[in-house]
Amino acid sequence: MTGTLPTQATGELSAESLLDAYRTMRTIRMFEERVHDEFATGEIPGFVHLYAGEEASATGVCSHLDDRDAIASTHRGHGHCIAKGVDVKAMMAEIYGKRTGSCQGKGGSMHIADLSKGMLGANGIVGGGPPLICGTALAAKQQGTGGVGVAFFGDGASNQGTTLESLNLASVWNLPAIFVAENNGYAEATASTWSVASDNIADRAAGFGMPGVIVDGFDFFAVHEAAGEAITRAREGGGPTLIEVKFTRYFGHFEGDQQTYRADEVANARENLDCLKRFRERVTGGGEVTDEALDTVDSEVAALIDAAVAEAKDAPKPSQADLETDVYVSY
Amino acid sequence: MLASADPATTVGIVANPASGRDIRRLVAQASVFPTAEKANMVQRICGALGVLGIGRVLMSTDLGGISAAVLRAVRTRRDSEAPWPEVEFCELDRLTESAADTTHMVRRMIDAGARVIICLGGDGTARVAAAACGDTPLLPLSTGTNNAFPRLREATVAGLAAGLVAARAVDVPTATRRASMLEVHAGERTEFALVDVCVCTARYVGSRALWDPATLTELYCTFAEPDGIGLSSVPGQLCPSPREKPDGVALRLGPPDRARHVVHAPIAPGLVVPVGVLDCRPLRPGERVELGTTHGVLAVDGERELEHRGAHPATVCLRPDGPRCIDVSAVLRAAAHQGLLTDIQLNPTEAA
Repeated sequence: MTGTLPTQATGELSAESLLDAYRTMRTIRMFEERVHDEFATGEIPGFVHLYAGEEASATGVCSHLDDRDAIASTHRGHGHCIAKGVDVKAMMAEIYGKRTGSCQGKGGSMHIADLSKGMLGANGIVGGGPPLICGTALAAKQQGTGGVGVAFFGDGASNQGTTLESLNLASVWNLPAIFVAENNGYAEATASTWSVASDNIADRAAGFGMPGVIVDGFDFFAVHEAAGEAITRAREGGGPTLIEVKFTRYFGHFEGDQQTYRADEVANARENLDCLKRFRERVTGGGEVTDEALDTVDSEVAALIDAAVAEAKDAPKPSQADLETDVYVSY
Repeated sequence: MLASADPATTVGIVANPASGRDIRRLVAQASVFPTAEKANMVQRICGALGVLGIGRVLMSTDLGGISAAVLRAVRTRRDSEAPWPEVEFCELDRLTESAADTTHMVRRMIDAGARVIICLGGDGTARVAAAACGDTPLLPLSTGTNNAFPRLREATVAGLAAGLVAARAVDVPTATRRASMLEVHAGERTEFALVDVCVCTARYVGSRALWDPATLTELYCTFAEPDGIGLSSVPGQLCPSPREKPDGVALRLGPPDRARHVVHAPIAPGLVVPVGVLDCRPLRPGERVELGTTHGVLAVDGERELEHRGAHPATVCLRPDGPRCIDVSAVLRAAAHQGLLTDIQLNPTEAA
């Protein structure tokens, strides 16, 4: 009698991997806090929706992905882009609407995409990502690449027909797809405890014949472990998984949101639950990584964000001639 | 006997919204225990308590939808339905959505007069409720992933047993059994386990669950049943120790190719795996054992709980003074013996 067991991948993270994860989370945090500050100056066009507080989700999931894999994001997509390896300077330029941006400044915050990195795009359509991932997962399955598709979506999107149809399709076709429901408690200003009939989004997985699990979204190690198992399962032909990641976003739904619908939960989360604080305490407490090494990452990331903002501000805007480029895309 | 309880008699019900949701649904096909079913169980308990005339239920609150579903049921009950106790919702100033909610809720219920605490969850939930219960009888009902401690029981029957104990129709010595527990000291933290404590080489608590035996080095159990589920099933097959005995068991684990015994054990729902056992011995009550690591994760009742990085090794000790748990079978046997659920009619209507 023998059994093949899944590996508890968290226990195998090297010091280098831990530093990489910290760098990704810190980059997301500093990127978002800087966009928060810069948006207030009025220089950034359009809307921005910030991912601060949710870093462990994008990082914990995307740290298992490689060039075979694709992700679909949401309107709150900066964290997913950074975690999937999209160039930070190009992202900042895109948010400023500049020609040097990821999409030549024509998309802005809600449409950052980089197909070369397997980042299919932030998405202004709530529930727009899951159907895309069924497509990319079907392609990976048909072509036998071993790739997977990951759809990030929020608690609001969990109630959309597109999401529910995608869960069904992924299960019927046994697709290598992972659905990551990022439940930050509010769809704009509507509490998920009110608007999600089953209360736990993960509970819906059973109805589609796939595993559904809940993880603490403030805990990188919890997300990393659950995502690792789901992605391994998908790569090996085991089919789709729904992971519900629970946490709190630190900023409003969009920049400018007065947040009259929630009380002091953000202060509590920042103080007691913050993913970066907890990560630092645990990896330095165990001796795997030193405070000095993490401080060095902080400095390097701060310099990167400063440079990204400065270069974005200096970059040219799209010209009149750019109006007729990127209109049609051939695949 | 029916409907004869003092109307002031109070039963507390605490239901964990997070139980039955962890990664073992992904790695081991563990069962899903939906919110709706937990709320249904509460309603079945209330129905049984109402029949016994229990006047008041203190119900836990949560953000997972259980208490909301119970509130909806309370508000939509019809006059034609059998009466329920008054259901009061035990609200905390702030729900933390952590084990602390269960602790605070149980303490409040006991302070407010609950004579029995019914707890819906798995081993983890029962452990937390037990630590807060003091001497108040506890009835753990299984709605979790790994359920070595709570028995699988129909909630209606459990409700009857809880109501009979709360109403003092069956005396506490007959109705309850004192469980053992393991006390773990790791640095400044103290934890309790109702079933097992395990030392794991993983560095982080991560997603909490344990499913890879290659990471386990030491195991201590309050009891070990041959038909158990979870880590205690390993000694359950090798050196069984019934719940009723004061002794527990202690095992050193290792790679199957270097172990004297390899037990094919159901260490989690859906996972029957080979576990290497280097040695196995009885664990005596009061014996304090120093664990063989200063750096590692300690799991209690099947869940990674503590990341221990102390200068000194953690210790574990088997204590005989665990929670006082209601023995549903014993209560209903006593009820049958005393006719507590049986009416005798002196002039029954003759069948036509």
